[in-house]
Amino acid sequence: MPTLEDELRRLMADDTARLHAAPDLLERVVRSHRARRSRVKAVAVAASVAAALVVVGGPAVYLSAGPAPTAGGPGTTSAVPEPPAIDDTPPAPTEPANLGDLGDGKEFGHVKVGYLPERLVWGNWSIDHGDSYSTSYNYKGDDEGSYRVQIFVYENGAVQELEDRLQTYRDEEEGQEVTVGGRSGYQVVTNVGEDGMAGTPTLFLKLGDRQWAEITFSPVYAKEFRDAEAVTAELNRIGEGLTSTL
Amino acid sequence: MSGAEHDFGAFVAARATSLLRVAYLACGDETEAEDLLQTALERTYRKWDRIRHDSPEPYVRRVIVNAAISRARRRAILKIIPMHSPPDTPARTDDPDLQHVLREALRALPPRQRAVVVLRYWEDLSETQTAEVLGCSVGTVKSQASKAMAKLRSALGQDTVKGVIRNAHA
Repeated sequence: MPTLEDELRRLMADDTARLHAAPDLLERVVRSHRARRSRVKAVAVAASVAAALVVVGGPAVYLSAGPAPTAGGPGTTSAVPEPPAIDDTPPAPTEPANLGDLGDGKEFGHVKVGYLPERLVWGNWSIDHGDSYSTSYNYKGDDEGSYRVQIFVYENGAVQELEDRLQTYRDEEEGQEVTVGGRSGYQVVTNVGEDGMAGTPTLFLKLGDRQWAEITFSPVYAKEFRDAEAVTAELNRIGEGLTSTL
Repeated sequence: MSGAEHDFGAFVAARATSLLRVAYLACGDETEAEDLLQTALERTYRKWDRIRHDSPEPYVRRVIVNAAISRARRRAILKIIPMHSPPDTPARTDDPDLQHVLREALRALPPRQRAVVVLRYWEDLSETQTAEVLGCSVGTVKSQASKAMAKLRSALGQDTVKGVIRNAHA
């Protein structure tokens, strides 16, 4: 008699028998890789040009004089290049909404941050999706884009999405229910980590019926603490200091 | 074409279909599986000089499975189980009830448990290998596999399993 495991194997074999990798997969991978490299180079060039403009000032006149060359534009090349495939076209850059200048970062959206670990400063970055928003904190001199602590806030409609995520952790019996400063929450190490990273210690905290916060430590920052208990204690301190202004 | 590019091309030609099937089983959606595979291969290509001398397949598999889990969690899609596209070729029809129930139960598993099932019973990885792919302990793999199998059995109902399996062999 076949076991359940045997039946699973057969089901999976049946369900995937029709699947075959696309014949142009290799081509798409290589093309995408090259397009990405070009974009990285373009960003680097743009950044260096921008830096030159800021530092030198004067040459901006020369750099901005005359029409900017466009790929495939008249006169730029004798051969007309083929138009890029649709999936080669980088998405048009759009600036995501943010919360503006947060000063020391201790008040944003509808929350106040009462406690931040030593040396952490506002990361000069935020994002605002309306019902959910976030900002982060790092050390002075950290690479732009990196973070040590990040706080997400979920309000109104976004709360349901967060509760679905929490249910996932509960289903998988990852993490645990906690009470921090008299408020209910959930503590878990999120992210399996595609590169085998240790994970992101996270405290979800209910600030109100229509508002939750998610406080996360980057894996790099978590390593600064002597052990998981110390990480948890610090997460809790931040959680306790967080107040709602909603 | 350089030697490295040639090697990468040979690897993709030999293993892409197998990896696509792992991706599909991990995420449950054909389009997403193709995207997972392409993304994983792009990452692999970027690091090919370093990876090519070891066995690259475990690396790609790890990226695929963990990316599938991360995406599923991020999107909180557990409650919105992907619609199943019926296969072009019919599944074996000797036990359609079991296949249907089992398929839905498999899809309803939390992403990490589903990944454990796929790696253990589709890829035939050991518990240790599965733990390496998922970046967790062997104990976690054991407990996740045990919970997953219990849920599948529970979803099917023990009688259903026995009955359908008996019918399949009648």
